[in-house]
Amino acid sequence: MATEKQTEPCSDILVVGAGIGGLKAAMDLSEASRRVVLIDKAFSIGGLMARLDRTFPTNNCDLCTLSPQLSETGRRQHIELMSGTQLSAVQGEVGRFSASLTIAPRFIDLNLCTACGECYKRFPQWVRFTPGLDHRAPTCMRYPQATPYAFSVYPEASCHKDELVRVCPAGAILTEDRERVETRLFGAIILAAGAELFAPAHLDYLSRGLSVDVLTGLEYERILSASGPTHGELIRPSDGKPPQRIAWIQCVGSRGINTADVSYCSSVCCMAAIKEAIVTRERFGNDIETTIFYMDIRTGGKDYELYYQRALKEYGVRFVRCRPHSVVVGDAGQLQIAYLREENGRLETERFDMVVLSSGFRASQETEDLGRRLGIELNRHHFAEAGGFSPVSTSRPGIYVCGTFESPKDIPETIVQSSAAACLAMETAGRLDPGAGQVEAVPPERDVAGEPPRIGVFVCDCGFNIGGVIDVEAVVAHVATLPEVLVSEIAGHGCSSAAMERIESAIREKGLNRIVIGGCSPRTRETLFQNTLRKAGLNKYLVEIVNIRDQVTWVHAHLADQATEKAKDLLRMAVGSVRYRRPHTDLVLPMNKDVLVVGGGVSGMTAALSLASQGFKVILVERMRELGGLAGQLRKSLEGDDIGAHVRSLVDSTLSHKRIEVLTQTIIVDHSGMPGAFSTGLQAGPRMLYRQIRHGATILATGALPLRPAEHLLGEHGAVVTQLDLDGIIEDHPDRVASWNTVVMIQCVGSRTPENPNCSKICCQSAVKNILRIGRLNPDARIFVLYRDMRTTGFQEDYAIEARKMGAVFVRYEENAKPDVRIVGDKLTVAFEDRILGRRLQVETDCLALSTGFVADDEGTEDLAAIFHLSRTADGFFREDHVKLRPVELSVPGFTVAGTALGPKSVRESITQALAASARTQALLSRDTINLGAVAARVDRKRCAACLLCVRACPYHIPFINADGVSEIDATRCHGCGTCAAECPAKAIELVQFEDDVITAQLNGLLERLN
Amino acid sequence: MEDFEPVIVAFCCHYCAYTAADMAGSLRLCYPPNVKIIRVPCSGKVDTIHLMQAIKGGADGVYVAGCLEGDCHFKSGNAKAARRVVYAKRLLNDVGIEPERIEMIMMSAGMGERFAATAEEFTAKIRGMGPNPVKLMRATAIRDPHNVSPAHKESAAV
Repeated sequence: MATEKQTEPCSDILVVGAGIGGLKAAMDLSEASRRVVLIDKAFSIGGLMARLDRTFPTNNCDLCTLSPQLSETGRRQHIELMSGTQLSAVQGEVGRFSASLTIAPRFIDLNLCTACGECYKRFPQWVRFTPGLDHRAPTCMRYPQATPYAFSVYPEASCHKDELVRVCPAGAILTEDRERVETRLFGAIILAAGAELFAPAHLDYLSRGLSVDVLTGLEYERILSASGPTHGELIRPSDGKPPQRIAWIQCVGSRGINTADVSYCSSVCCMAAIKEAIVTRERFGNDIETTIFYMDIRTGGKDYELYYQRALKEYGVRFVRCRPHSVVVGDAGQLQIAYLREENGRLETERFDMVVLSSGFRASQETEDLGRRLGIELNRHHFAEAGGFSPVSTSRPGIYVCGTFESPKDIPETIVQSSAAACLAMETAGRLDPGAGQVEAVPPERDVAGEPPRIGVFVCDCGFNIGGVIDVEAVVAHVATLPEVLVSEIAGHGCSSAAMERIESAIREKGLNRIVIGGCSPRTRETLFQNTLRKAGLNKYLVEIVNIRDQVTWVHAHLADQATEKAKDLLRMAVGSVRYRRPHTDLVLPMNKDVLVVGGGVSGMTAALSLASQGFKVILVERMRELGGLAGQLRKSLEGDDIGAHVRSLVDSTLSHKRIEVLTQTIIVDHSGMPGAFSTGLQAGPRMLYRQIRHGATILATGALPLRPAEHLLGEHGAVVTQLDLDGIIEDHPDRVASWNTVVMIQCVGSRTPENPNCSKICCQSAVKNILRIGRLNPDARIFVLYRDMRTTGFQEDYAIEARKMGAVFVRYEENAKPDVRIVGDKLTVAFEDRILGRRLQVETDCLALSTGFVADDEGTEDLAAIFHLSRTADGFFREDHVKLRPVELSVPGFTVAGTALGPKSVRESITQALAASARTQALLSRDTINLGAVAARVDRKRCAACLLCVRACPYHIPFINADGVSEIDATRCHGCGTCAAECPAKAIELVQFEDDVITAQLNGLLERLN
Repeated sequence: MEDFEPVIVAFCCHYCAYTAADMAGSLRLCYPPNVKIIRVPCSGKVDTIHLMQAIKGGADGVYVAGCLEGDCHFKSGNAKAARRVVYAKRLLNDVGIEPERIEMIMMSAGMGERFAATAEEFTAKIRGMGPNPVKLMRATAIRDPHNVSPAHKESAAV
């Protein structure tokens, strides 16, 4: 019956918005074999990130980080990409949404456009210069690595279509194109529609609109960007001269009370301004003065405080704490900034050549309309409302949200939320038929055994990253002279889809059978190029990647000539060795789909429950007697949600779930294996019985420890407590709170110090949370908050404003002038400097709450890092694999991490990370087999003398002497280190992929010029 | 000797030293371009033959860079590599070449600074030692028509 069929949820998932958040969600879903339709209103995807220049903290080029993802999105099999498309309406409910997609006319046939750029070249008279500093032509691609790689015609230029038809050599111009509406069914919807950046055309008090040298942060990024209007040259828009003094003004339009302002904090602008200042000095010289005017520096993310300290100490970026009164244009066009000096309250005026306004996120009218059309709740700032413990769920079941549409946030937080949204969408939308289109169609592999080497060399210029340092033309010309090299050319951004296609067609046309890529690290890009070879009908192991970027241009930037020579050397080594590369077949094993979760706090339980609900068996290991972790000690969140109740319900669900096995009082003692086939030894229960479990993936959610430093009489005087203690006192002893006359809070106790340089992130919100609760119980209490920077980011700022309105007094102190806490008589007193009054105050207090934050569980993470071979940060937290793009993965494949084991964070953020870790784990376990790659030791039986050296040398005891009296190595169990090959005196063992002749050839390639 | 630019080969294990080199790259740490990296899965893969081939081919210095002691991704490959380096040093000593031209170095994947500093120090050391004597020997040997050394022929040093 038809009704019967309708109850089955539709498995397709719609992702709205193809910025970095939407891309990530779509790619996670595709990896987990879900079918995705990814739509974006723009004609090329990438969102805001594609327009930035570089990202902190590595200061890598944004496009380089993003573009492989873009091109991959275009190529991924489960993703259907629809550009120029908007979601106009959604009928139905979770599991069976009927969505109307409105597709704008592009006037260009995507299948025909080759992105040759003739149309753009021939109509320069239509090039417009907009305040966004983007060139806009009648046809347009927003950046060189655009996906889809095709132009589009702006509707306002469509009257010139006939002329465009004449110049287009591909015949791709459509003279007739119309808006269309398609209706499709989806099981779940993810909204990643983003936000816009506040970019006022006029702000007269800041001379915005009066001087072209007053820019927004994004406009400044466009100037720095290699793909921007100045091709990456730093020049002042008014006269094209390089600026000498640049000022940043923070919180423009944010944290304000003027009509155009919003009250919340935009969260990302502090790090963005610091990055822009650092990049300016790094790239354009230390003689450019960079000054940042700020109210509070909010560098609360993982290791962000260290980045801020580097800006101060290493790069000499100047920080001035003041929200400047005005920017005035002087007679000669110079920009004068008037500001108050914090130390003496005097008004100063300084001259600058350029002023960058750090303007933050705004909900756009479009996303607001989208929200209303879909009937989801928006908050008072028009961002999508999501729950305290369900941080990516909107008010409409089955519709999830991630990225800046939910709240202002940076790239890593967006990525984590996107994976979390993908996780919930997978739960909602049922499973994809595992047989459906799993294998991507690739042509059969060409047999190259009999062919002489025909080598193709492609050298990326990677924008400025490589091309800005070495003479790529000379390098390519040199390589072309080497024997057996048929093709040697510049590949631009080799990882872009255009370059990939070029390599693919060169392989076919010239019959190439060995490929050398001069680009970046094989650690990150090898798979991408291997896939390209495979698509061109070559075995994927016939490629050699030369890491010119990381090993030459990034590290020898000051020695252009020598760097060029070194690039030639490295390429010669690769050309010499690639001819010895042979085709290999990957080894395959069945996948174990059980998951080990270490840590039974909120993160661990959330991840375990998410996986168990998707049918995975979970073993949850907790070293303590009870589940609950650190959050078990918390009572209320800043938003007023009941953390205690949430933790209790998690514990109940976890203990009663039939697919979760909980092992308390259990520690990890040993570990081996690979993703899909791990084996971990545990000692469980009070008697510490040893037991070994087999699992396919591991999630670490081992938490952190609340800090209790012996400072300010903590532990010596009963009135001195931590914010965590205070949280409990307020719940359990409201009468005590009501009796207090005075409460003093000291922020950053034990954090942002030389011993523990990072920010604990959660203490400012804890303080504000407790102030509001004390104020409600005891409106007459005097509350003093002694702080260094208040870091209530995003919508938390609204609570901080409420605390101020309630009468709490916020007084700043410097790191070198900490408050002085003493016992005078029987009273606890706190003495501190009030800069506004210009005098020292002494306050008697009934309660002194220290904001002490978290520290890593150093011993715990050290043991686990040793057992699992994971890397940690200097302060003992686990280190994620990639701070931007893989924020919940660890460096060892098969391991993800969630919660405070990565760094201090709130319960809400921990839940998001746990869901993200679950999504990444599901992606890994979605396949039924594990690919072991081809690296393995292989024995030449004829040469083996059964000397036993390999048997003794192998760290894993894999080789044995078989019945035929020769060494035998099981390739599926071999770890591929090659120790046996190096030890074998008869040279009977070769390590596949690292054969001796390959290594020798590399040496010869380098050394032959000496002979 | 003033314009002597040593040629240095660094065998780097994939999991630590090579990753540290990438880290040095992303941190934009400068080090001398003399160092050329050959990537191996584990320092334990580096054969004594390869060390000797490098010296015989004219490299002025060679180092094997592996994980920190006790931290090898493959448990003990770095310890075996260190042992082979000691052995190779002895061979060099026997044939009258400074054993300091071959070294074992250990670092973790996060030690971008250490990678750059090592490259700097090792290059400075080799620069101070002057060119690999093999090259001088070969320059004399080439004059003897019966003794032209084919560069690609494998060493029988072990």
